[in-house]
Amino acid sequence: MAPTALAEPIEGRQGHYAGAVSRLVAFGADVGASWGLFTLAAAALSFTIQLASGTKFTLANHQIASLIAAVVWEFVYFAYQWTLSGKTIGMALLGIRVVRTDGTAIGARQAIIRTLTFPLSIIVFGLGFLGILTNRNRHAWHDRFAGTAVVYSWDARAARLRWLAKQDAPNPAARATSAPS
Amino acid sequence: MEQLAQAVAERVVTIVMDAIDIDALLERIDVDALMSRVDVDGVVSRVDVDKLIDRVDVDKIVSRVDVEKIIERVDVEKIIERVDIDSIMEKTELGSIIARSTTGVASEVLDVIRAQGVGLDDFFARWVNRILRRSPGTLPAGPPTLVSPSPPPAELKAGGV
Repeated sequence: MAPTALAEPIEGRQGHYAGAVSRLVAFGADVGASWGLFTLAAAALSFTIQLASGTKFTLANHQIASLIAAVVWEFVYFAYQWTLSGKTIGMALLGIRVVRTDGTAIGARQAIIRTLTFPLSIIVFGLGFLGILTNRNRHAWHDRFAGTAVVYSWDARAARLRWLAKQDAPNPAARATSAPS
Repeated sequence: MEQLAQAVAERVVTIVMDAIDIDALLERIDVDALMSRVDVDGVVSRVDVDKLIDRVDVDKIVSRVDVEKIIERVDVEKIIERVDIDSIMEKTELGSIIARSTTGVASEVLDVIRAQGVGLDDFFARWVNRILRRSPGTLPAGPPTLVSPSPPPAELKAGGV
């Protein structure tokens, strides 16, 4: 499975500033995960209300309520996960995490400021994200507001060792056929 | 009479020793010349090392050693850096043990996705650095507490972070 990718010298990146692609893919994964969870929760809520009241209820029919619920949910999704571990589901998948600018773990304050200012980076034609490419410390606007940075938390060295081990590991099927009967 | 002679001799020796400036005397001795005249090999060959070791109480010596202090002075990180783990993995059964215990399809897929992500990050960073006429070596690799102050490896200098 794409062995050359892991054979390349990408070791020792733990703690280095994460790049634009990793962060963008992580964000995409988070959008998918958060909307998936929101849709599931909305469906569960509709089902429960329908069971309790006997009338059909769809959250999408209540536009203001569903908008408020979606905004609150997105806030909770990002702020809670950043406070808890410095990473969201998408960030965990891509092996990156949020830290303070000095590298220490972020607290609830930074997580909340980051979540609240995150939309600013999007709504101005996505200009807020340009800093990830151009800034020396790869800070987006919301990073500057919250005093945070995004770094690689993925242990590439361990991954390379796993890959090397896989190359070296004997094939159990081959071993079974070669074993004396 | 003999006691008197002894007392006189002791007194004389004391007076002479007090009068001699031993430091000045030692300074005048050419130790290198002295050592060149000593047949060290000959001396060593006459030493019965086994007998010498038999007389040494190793346990007593070891018990007097402060191991904690020695370990504190050892730069473990420097030693680990010199260990070629890849070579150990290739030469031992450790590789196959780790492969059996930790490698799953999911983790492999994640490793590949992440590796590709890092590769693309570097690709874009390289181009942006070129456009902005920025030397990658002058850019900070990461937050100060997470990145060691040692210079980045050659491939990072060339590839940009």
